Amino acid sequence: MNSQYATLLDNGPLIQVNRLSKSYSNGHGVISILRGISLEINLGEMVAVMGPSGSGKSTFLFILGLLLPASSGDYYFLGQDVLNLSRADQADFRRRRVGFVFQNCDLFENSTVYENLEFPLIYAQIERQERPEHIVAALERVNLANRLHHPANLLSGGERQRVAVARALVNQPQVILADEPTGQLDRQNGIMVMDYFNRIVSGGETSMVIVTHDPQVAARCHRVFSLEDGLLHEN
Amino acid sequence: MRFSDLLRVSIRQLVRHRRRYWGVMLAIALGTAGFITIITMGRDLKQNFNRDLELLGRATIVKIYFENRPTFQHQKFETATLEALRRMPGVRSASLTVNTHWSIINNKGIEYPFTLLGVDDAFWEVCGFSPQQGKVVSFENNNLRQRVAILGPGLAGTLFDRQDVVGSTLEIQRDLYTVTGVLKDVGLGDLRHFAFIPFTTAQDRIWPISQANRIYLRCLTWDDVDKVVPLIPQVIQASQYAPGLKVEVAWDQVKRVKSVAWWVELFIYSSIAATLVLGGVGIWVVMMAAVRSRTREIGLKKAMGAEDQAIMAQFLAEAVCLSFTASLAGSLMGLVIVEVTSWLIKSHPTQELFLFCVMIGLLVAVGLGVAAGLYPSLRASRMEVVSAIRYE
Ligand SMILES: Nc1ncnc2c1ncn2[C@@H]1O[C@H](COP(=O)(O)OP(=O)(O)OP(=O)(O)O)[C@@H](O)[C@H]1O
Ligand SMILES: [Mg+2]
Repeated sequence: MNSQYATLLDNGPLIQVNRLSKSYSNGHGVISILRGISLEINLGEMVAVMGPSGSGKSTFLFILGLLLPASSGDYYFLGQDVLNLSRADQADFRRRRVGFVFQNCDLFENSTVYENLEFPLIYAQIERQERPEHIVAALERVNLANRLHHPANLLSGGERQRVAVARALVNQPQVILADEPTGQLDRQNGIMVMDYFNRIVSGGETSMVIVTHDPQVAARCHRVFSLEDGLLHEN
Repeated sequence: MRFSDLLRVSIRQLVRHRRRYWGVMLAIALGTAGFITIITMGRDLKQNFNRDLELLGRATIVKIYFENRPTFQHQKFETATLEALRRMPGVRSASLTVNTHWSIINNKGIEYPFTLLGVDDAFWEVCGFSPQQGKVVSFENNNLRQRVAILGPGLAGTLFDRQDVVGSTLEIQRDLYTVTGVLKDVGLGDLRHFAFIPFTTAQDRIWPISQANRIYLRCLTWDDVDKVVPLIPQVIQASQYAPGLKVEVAWDQVKRVKSVAWWVELFIYSSIAATLVLGGVGIWVVMMAAVRSRTREIGLKKAMGAEDQAIMAQFLAEAVCLSFTASLAGSLMGLVIVEVTSWLIKSHPTQELFLFCVMIGLLVAVGLGVAAGLYPSLRASRMEVVSAIRYE
């Protein structure tokens, strides 16, 4: 771990967001999606964000993952201001700090499970011979080590989502940003994924922000927020 | 992104989506194979065409003789001179001849004058001898001092009424000569009306016969004529005293053949260029389609922390791998074609030239891949992450 962050780790929150706002311009004018969001997330915490469709939940996650720039506000990650990073440093931030699980569980098609999990390691310049160890470890956390060389297209929906989670884990990020990770799963698979999530954060080294519509998913999180009219309220 | 990973991922991508790529690869492979074949075999093919293009005239045949002035009456070419000419680069063959004028009265009592040429073995190669009737008999080795004759088609037609004249006899200076063949009526010029007998027979039996004062020389290709002809007097004068030397070339025909050849070459090269351009456009189109259909993949990779250069490098590497592999396959095809053609026309193109062409072909392919893949790769790398992820 970077020494620059290490000292802050004991006393500060992992993520600190102050008065974050975001507006899109859509040709006809400017629409405000987020209007001053403040939030703190500690390491090892699992946070749920709920809210109606179109309220800006995905937008918020994208900003947390530095996939979108914020319009205004502050965002500190382990005490470091990350909104003003250069493009290359943003990429580095995504490589080492964040793992994404997207709304529509994207895997690389025509690739095996192993190859899917290898890409984050390739971009992080991990030596080739060290990769299997990381990949197997990540798959073990979602109980899929036995599908190591399975073609991604032949996995079941639940398995795909678990592979997507494992892929988000493989670089040992400090935060996993999951956009409706159980949205396309049946009840049983949804519960299973949530079990894994609980186990992942229980180590105390990873935090998680989960966007969800499902109250049962939210019930298993440490804290639940709802996003409405561009503002975040803790329930 | 490490180079080894880049290469591995790109090749994997190509192999898994080979159906999408094979048309483009075929175009590039064909272009490369054509290029390699044409360059490697070019000279040998030209020599072969040359034989056929004799149809257009005796463009590569050079006649060397002494001007018939009283003072130089007894000039002749030495054997050493002939050998020196034969050794010149760009010369296929040269033949020394003796000649006299003769005439024959046929059975209707009409007199026909003609030139009687005593020729050595090399002569048939020089004039591109192929018999219309009879067979190629080597005059000197098989017929040393024998009374055999080969006729030009014009002469055969006037002397005999029938078609089949092989085996007929001809009386020259009270000796009977057996006709063993008639030349094909192709590009012979005035040789149409000549009769040919062995050099040794002519010197022994015919009187008066000239000195060996005429050399027929044939260049390898029409391109060699320009280079060989100016050097001929020097080469001859280096080996003997040669006043009144004349070198006769059918320049008109050389020019005509060259212009035909130029057009043919232009056509061939432009079709190769067209194939390569087509290949380039193919790469462009295929890569653009790939970038579009893999938008989500690009977004995902960027979300994982891939930098713009990594995305760009990946698409570029795919384009280069594509064209490089195609060119490699084309080189193999080229090798097969070169082997088969050289076996067919019995020539031996140099290995260095072939390898050189392969190198050039591969370099061009890499250039093509980079040039055609650049814009699609740039587009891929510039893509905004979120819109790529939300792309359906
Ligand atoms: N690039 C953009 N330009 C303009 N408007 C946008 C853009 N991206 C998103 N929006 C709008 O911002 C709003 C919030 O989008 P977002 O995807 O964050 O919603 P969400 O809360 O994730 O919804 P859902 O639950 O349906 O996934 C939507 O109304 C959307 O139309
Ligand atoms: Mg959303």
